[in-house]
Amino acid sequence: MDALATRRNRTLALASVGAAVGMLGFAYAAATFYSAFCRAFGLYGATQVASKGSESVGGRTLTVLFDANVAPGLDWRLEPETASLKLRTGKTATVYFRAQNLSGQPLAANALFNVTPEISGPWFDKIQCFCFQEQRLGPHESAEWPVVFFLDPKLETDASMAGVEAITLSYTLFAARDDARSTQ
Amino acid sequence: MTTVSGFVSSDAEKHAAHTPPTGLRRYLFATNHKDIGTLYLCFAIMAGVIGSLLSIAIRAELMSPGMHVFPVISAIMSGDGSDGAARNLYNVFFSAHALVMIFFMVMPAMMGGFGNWFVPLMIGAPDMAFPRLNNLSFWLLVASFCMLVSSMFVEGSPGMNGFGGGWVLYPPFSSTMGTPGPAGDFIILSLHLAGASSIVGAINFIATIFNMRAPGMTLFRMPLFVWSVLATAFLLLLALPVLAGALTMLLTDRNFHTSFFDPAGGGDPLLFQHLFWFFGHPEVYILILPGFGMISQIVSTFSRKPVFGYMGMVLAMLTICALGFVVWAHHMFVTGIPLAEQEFFVITTMAIAVPTGVKVFSWIATMWGGSIAMRPPMLWAIGFIFVFTVGGVTGVVLANASLDRQLHDTYYVVAHFHFTMSLGAVFSIFAGFYYWFPKMTGYLYNERLAKLHFWLTFAGINIVFLPQHFLGFAGMPRRQVDYADAFTLWNFVSSIGAFIAGIGTLVFLYLLYEAFAAKRVAAANPWGEGATTLEWTLPSPPPFHQFETPPAIRFDGAGAAVAEGGH
Repeated sequence: MDALATRRNRTLALASVGAAVGMLGFAYAAATFYSAFCRAFGLYGATQVASKGSESVGGRTLTVLFDANVAPGLDWRLEPETASLKLRTGKTATVYFRAQNLSGQPLAANALFNVTPEISGPWFDKIQCFCFQEQRLGPHESAEWPVVFFLDPKLETDASMAGVEAITLSYTLFAARDDARSTQ
Repeated sequence: MTTVSGFVSSDAEKHAAHTPPTGLRRYLFATNHKDIGTLYLCFAIMAGVIGSLLSIAIRAELMSPGMHVFPVISAIMSGDGSDGAARNLYNVFFSAHALVMIFFMVMPAMMGGFGNWFVPLMIGAPDMAFPRLNNLSFWLLVASFCMLVSSMFVEGSPGMNGFGGGWVLYPPFSSTMGTPGPAGDFIILSLHLAGASSIVGAINFIATIFNMRAPGMTLFRMPLFVWSVLATAFLLLLALPVLAGALTMLLTDRNFHTSFFDPAGGGDPLLFQHLFWFFGHPEVYILILPGFGMISQIVSTFSRKPVFGYMGMVLAMLTICALGFVVWAHHMFVTGIPLAEQEFFVITTMAIAVPTGVKVFSWIATMWGGSIAMRPPMLWAIGFIFVFTVGGVTGVVLANASLDRQLHDTYYVVAHFHFTMSLGAVFSIFAGFYYWFPKMTGYLYNERLAKLHFWLTFAGINIVFLPQHFLGFAGMPRRQVDYADAFTLWNFVSSIGAFIAGIGTLVFLYLLYEAFAAKRVAAANPWGEGATTLEWTLPSPPPFHQFETPPAIRFDGAGAAVAEGGH
């Protein structure tokens, strides 16, 4: 092979390596933007955050069910004050969740959440939620956490929501990472 | 033709001085594209036999309801014949079957084997662009395979050996939650190495095909097999790094407390599925595109006609490549993706049927009015067109998000992808093998045995997978060691088919032995005037080095490539 061919091969190989490294970077970029993307578009039951209640009231009334879980490894209890309620779109509701630290040491936890069916994510607006920040409870301490939310009346314009009569809001409490490691 | 034999003898004289290294050194330090191709093919045959044995064990277990076979295998392998160990071992077997067949049989045979052997020959190049990298590609794959085998003998799930989470490696099963043991890390690192091997190989093919073509061999005069390898190389280059990224995230989740896929730390297991299938769908085209190329060569050779619609065939392959990157979420219809996304992925998936249809119709049009010779490679090629079309049609069925809700993770899916892979890809590999065997070895094989191999495989494998459509429609879930009594009949039939296909494999191994023992010498071109590509202008087997100075390629009126001058 002459020198020119060798150089052309090198250039092409380096460009190919660049493309491969670029795709590797793309995978990591996808991981970074994924949760932001899901939240922005309400994908996979990610809910919306609102600063104030809805300005209008809609015509439909849906059932909202509440579900609360604690992940293995966290010695806490979490339960909603009521299993379900009926809510007209546009009206704001407040539901309390009772939490208790069953262990003898102070622990921190994060709540993960979604709504099912997942397609209702874009229309489920939370004004206040204990899932917005990390929660800490002292040994055997209890707390009542409010969730303030409404259903966006615009869901009535979404054809895929037409058959949805009930929406389940589900929470799972996970031990905050640092605490989980220290207790292992 | 006389010019060709002329420079072959000069070639032989030239290299009398430095004969190829002999023995182990020749293969361990191989940089010659033909030697490396041979290594890849031997490796693929070995892996294919192992993968087939795994599948025969699976079919033996599924022959009747209840647990019969795996408790015995488990007792032999780990001394634990308990129900739990046997169920785990079944999962390990089908996971290993998939990984072995995909990464260590189909990919090495098509790209590493036939790609290495024939891309340089077909474009008039002396060798690959980076012969040492080529050696690295192959030996990385061997290391990767050793890690995969090792994983079967170390702890995965608590108290169990091996990784049983399928080739898709979805977390949380593949994270420390489901597989805390080192088997999970072994599998991940094995795929890292296999990916690195393929990326290096892909770079080599891209450089070779763009830069090393002989004068006169323009891009749009390249044989379709070379085009298919080029397209596949681009798929590998762009898809495998995404898998590598996802696997690295999984590895750091498992070992270094990151939480890409762990909800406790703000991650999402579904992210892995997106990344995996962004790689995984192009991967299935990686497995079939070189097959498309081989089938084009073979159908054209044995119909004694240039391939119909050359430009359409090239564009169809490039379209398939491009569409392959925007269909991934059709594997995820049941994960709760929004309606608009489902609509998008249904449409893009169905659109793939168009370029694929162009290819199938072009093969048929190539045969139409041709002087067809039913030699073994042609039998396999026609068998390929038949089974691949069946697999493609069930793929269009599965593309419907609404139907997929019912069929997802049932045996219908198993039947679908085996018709495209186990039948389609494997048939194209055997077609290529029987097409190029005389060229690679210099010996003719027994054509009656080759036809027997074809009919046993064709019958056997159709009996395996056709009934699995019925099982899938009836709702039998895949990846389960046991099943309800209602599914007994078609499972029994399916298992019988697997044994028939297994006998076919034995015939194939005997055919190899017979061909090397009988030593019937093959001419430079055993297939006659239909074989028009450059490799048939060289003797069988070709000299250790060829086209040292690039030959000028001329295409005669019938479209045959003729090498002039050179060396």
